[in-house]
Amino acid sequence: MRLVVQLMLKLNLRHTSIKTSNNGVIILKYSNSRMNCCAISTFFNLVVNICVLTTSFVYSQNCNLTFTGYVFDVDDNTPLEAAMIEVLGSDTFVVSDVSGAFQLVNQCKGKLRLKISHINCEAVYREVNLDKSSTFNFLLEHRVENLDEVVVSKLRVHELSATNKIHSLSELQKDRFSSKNLAGALEQISGVSVLSTGNSIGKPVIHGMFGSRVGVVYDGIQLENQQWGQDHAPNIDLNNFELIRVIKGAGTLKYGTTAGGVVILESILPKRVDSLYGKTILGGMYNGRGYSASSNWVKSYKNGTYIKLNGSLKRNGDFTAPNYNLTNTGNKENNFSIALGKNGLQHKWKTFFSYFNTKIAILESAHIGNVKDLLRAIESSVPLIIDPYKSDIDYPMQDNSHYTANIEYTNANIADGELHIKYSWQRNNRKEFDIRRGSLKDKPALHLVLNTHNLLSNYEWNTAFGNFDSGIFFQIQDNYSNPETQIKRLIPDYLKTKLGGYFTATFSNTKDFIFELGARYGYNNNEVQKFYTNKQWDLKNYEEPFGRYVIRQTVSQKLVKRTLEFSTFSFNAGVRHSLTPAYTINFNYNHTQRAPNIAEMFSDGLHHSLASIEYGNPFLGIETTHKVVLDFEKKQGAFQFNISPFITVGQNNYIVIDPVGVEKTIRGAFPVWQYAAVSALFKGIDLDFSYAFDENTQFRNSTSWVEGTNTKTNLPLVNIPPLTINNQLQFSLPDWKSFFVLINSKAVFQQNRYPDNNFEQPVIENGKIVTKTVDISTPPAGYHDLGLELNWGPYSLRSSKLSIALILDNVLDNSYRNYLNRLRFYSDEIGRNISLQIRIKH
Amino acid sequence: MSKNIFKKTALISLILFLASCDKDEPEEIHEHEEFSRAVITVTNEADQASVVYTFAIENHDYGDAGHDDEAHMEIELEANSSYLFAIRFYNDEDPNNPEDVTPEVIDEKDEHLVFYEFTDGVNITLESGPGDTLDSNSNPLNLVTRWTTTAAGVADVEAYLIHQPTSKTGTTRNAIGGATDVEIEFEAHVN
Repeated sequence: MRLVVQLMLKLNLRHTSIKTSNNGVIILKYSNSRMNCCAISTFFNLVVNICVLTTSFVYSQNCNLTFTGYVFDVDDNTPLEAAMIEVLGSDTFVVSDVSGAFQLVNQCKGKLRLKISHINCEAVYREVNLDKSSTFNFLLEHRVENLDEVVVSKLRVHELSATNKIHSLSELQKDRFSSKNLAGALEQISGVSVLSTGNSIGKPVIHGMFGSRVGVVYDGIQLENQQWGQDHAPNIDLNNFELIRVIKGAGTLKYGTTAGGVVILESILPKRVDSLYGKTILGGMYNGRGYSASSNWVKSYKNGTYIKLNGSLKRNGDFTAPNYNLTNTGNKENNFSIALGKNGLQHKWKTFFSYFNTKIAILESAHIGNVKDLLRAIESSVPLIIDPYKSDIDYPMQDNSHYTANIEYTNANIADGELHIKYSWQRNNRKEFDIRRGSLKDKPALHLVLNTHNLLSNYEWNTAFGNFDSGIFFQIQDNYSNPETQIKRLIPDYLKTKLGGYFTATFSNTKDFIFELGARYGYNNNEVQKFYTNKQWDLKNYEEPFGRYVIRQTVSQKLVKRTLEFSTFSFNAGVRHSLTPAYTINFNYNHTQRAPNIAEMFSDGLHHSLASIEYGNPFLGIETTHKVVLDFEKKQGAFQFNISPFITVGQNNYIVIDPVGVEKTIRGAFPVWQYAAVSALFKGIDLDFSYAFDENTQFRNSTSWVEGTNTKTNLPLVNIPPLTINNQLQFSLPDWKSFFVLINSKAVFQQNRYPDNNFEQPVIENGKIVTKTVDISTPPAGYHDLGLELNWGPYSLRSSKLSIALILDNVLDNSYRNYLNRLRFYSDEIGRNISLQIRIKH
Repeated sequence: MSKNIFKKTALISLILFLASCDKDEPEEIHEHEEFSRAVITVTNEADQASVVYTFAIENHDYGDAGHDDEAHMEIELEANSSYLFAIRFYNDEDPNNPEDVTPEVIDEKDEHLVFYEFTDGVNITLESGPGDTLDSNSNPLNLVTRWTTTAAGVADVEAYLIHQPTSKTGTTRNAIGGATDVEIEFEAHVN
């Protein structure tokens, strides 16, 4: 039951106490100028220490200073009485009074080592540098009385950004999607949509961008799992992480430079207490006749050692649309992770290993041979293959495994800073099975193995000017395309090396303003080995630009080995202004540069479900985007809101894929798509507001609108999420506190802005040749999805707490299609679903 | 301090080690599954004279300029005659080792069907011919078909090899379903 004490990173000469802004940012104020100059001009603690020592040596004769301090409870800012403050290396100690205050008189100039303890807290050690009589504030984390409540305190959670609006998923929002996928859970945040392939594969889309423009970061490391593909969902289990947050915009440059946004998954360090706790979620689902189970356990010790285990499994058979079975749409998922660590006050170690495996069946009727098959599918109102329900997974399917192993070291007390060193390894094994013939039947049509090593080190420190974070990173990534598939590589083998560094700074010179600056430089080296067929080589006139890179020639192909280098520089600037305690304005500008990914430069192959041939463009350069996001927020009172307009400009080098022609094959003619650099403009607005009628009834609305335009052609961009309005009513009964109801209404409008990529196809119909339009462009009609959720609990069950949720999706069993589902040409979305969830906190 | 130096040295060594990795040359892939050539041998049953028509469109041609000759393939037939059309499929992906894929199609006879689709203009009766393969439900694969012509005329013909048809007895492309593996077109001239 004992708690880790959280310490204050801040020291304050003026009287302002620690200010915790709405998103939990601690503003540091401290004006010991001598130390500043040193801390700013250095990166590593060593120099800081020397600097501090020098200072203290010079001024150590002055011993008439008064040191005043206040001790507060971090959770509610109330003063902590009877905290004991000891001056280490002397016999001096004082006890804080009812206002949390204490005073140490006759102190010498220089370093003061303090131990602050409280009956409810573990001792905390702080070192302050005193050069005149000063007032300091200390925040202690008050012990949490209920062990089953894993409280996420502000200080235990790493701050992502002081000036960006951070959107977090609540525990309820996360648990609701325990048996589904990450993208689905994120869609609960305004401005986030899902680009899906069927109903089990989903990629998050933030402000109209996805893939390489949306980063998924777990425990500080970018997830590396072939994110370039539209049907490549992030291979990660959301149940592994306690905290899921989103910044819409490049936000923090700490983790990468993703213009669309960044999704940050984190696990919370257990407290330094002897304890065993955990959480289990069991789920059953009517649609898909599936079940899921997820359980995680934490055993922690008083000395800071801990072990965390997490396992989850999901099983679903075919899902059903309101009027038919969706043949071959089941999925299976098995995940496991283990973390071992030592959470010392000064040194922290953490090792983490995770295994993720998902097998996802792809709607059978979406497997087509050519454009005429696609046309038949589009013209048919129902899927062309409807079989009875089955729970097995047949071809086509995906079988993806992702392994991660990290080791991380933190030194939390280096000259008021923290040093982190992290190594991570990730292996992504992606197999896509198609419907094939003969001996190749059980061989994947695509088999990619991506191995990534990351080495990261950063140092975070605080001075009177502000908070700083600076880091360096090194990555080496190896992509291997297994030739056993006997299908030409969709993307070539490559070896990528990335290295660079970043720097972020947060300042606050007055009470109401916070400023943030960040910069990141990256050097990116891609060594690519790609085969071109002679035919393609000649038709595209590659001899001239690439002839000298040919390292091998065979009868029909050329092997080209090229090294492509890119240097990117990104920076951002943000300001947060508190107009009143309730109202704040955030303004952020991000200048983001991204090296084109391998798929954009070198992809080469036929996409079966869309009957199209895709080619990369080896001439692409760095993509530069400018994004401006404004947040106007009211965070107090019954009525709260956040209004967030944004604009993104991709000047001249925004990479899109466009139709460029037709290619004839023995299967018939196929439309050809090729990556190209255009100019793009995104503008949009996210609105969130909530109104609490009383303590039992709350209404929430979130509305997202975005528009994307190719400003070179003045045509709309493809796959931009349509206007979406979510309304949610939550209420409980005054006499029945352990029960509440959520009614969720989601209205998705028809997307009226879309590019016309239709093409013509002659077919024989009733003895005549008729030219038909293959309409791959027109978005489906809007739809309304009504959800209902009943929650009971928590109830005490021995030492555990149990809650039950009954969740109904698409209550009205509406038939509709979703513009952002790549398989929308083939089937409706799934119909009514009823799921039951039992959540147990141990 | 010395510990720090040790750590840093270890770090730098690790970086150098990782950076020194080099990739092996990838091996060349020949696709043995895709079709690249279809050959129709048309034999006049009366005099056993045969003509071979080759439909070759290499996969991954880029652009459509100059590749429309297959649309003008013309098969000459005489009126009031009977012909055997034998269609075979090849993979020429590896020029040193062209493969006849027809036996694979025959191996998976339940999952394949050849289908000819006509525009108006000729009156041809088409049935399974001698030497054709029957699947396990006795449905012909139409690898060999007998074409019986009547009056003179001209028609466009589409020939398909269909994988996993939903119906083998359908009379239109729509009714047969499945995924198209091969689609070639020619004109049938009945003189």
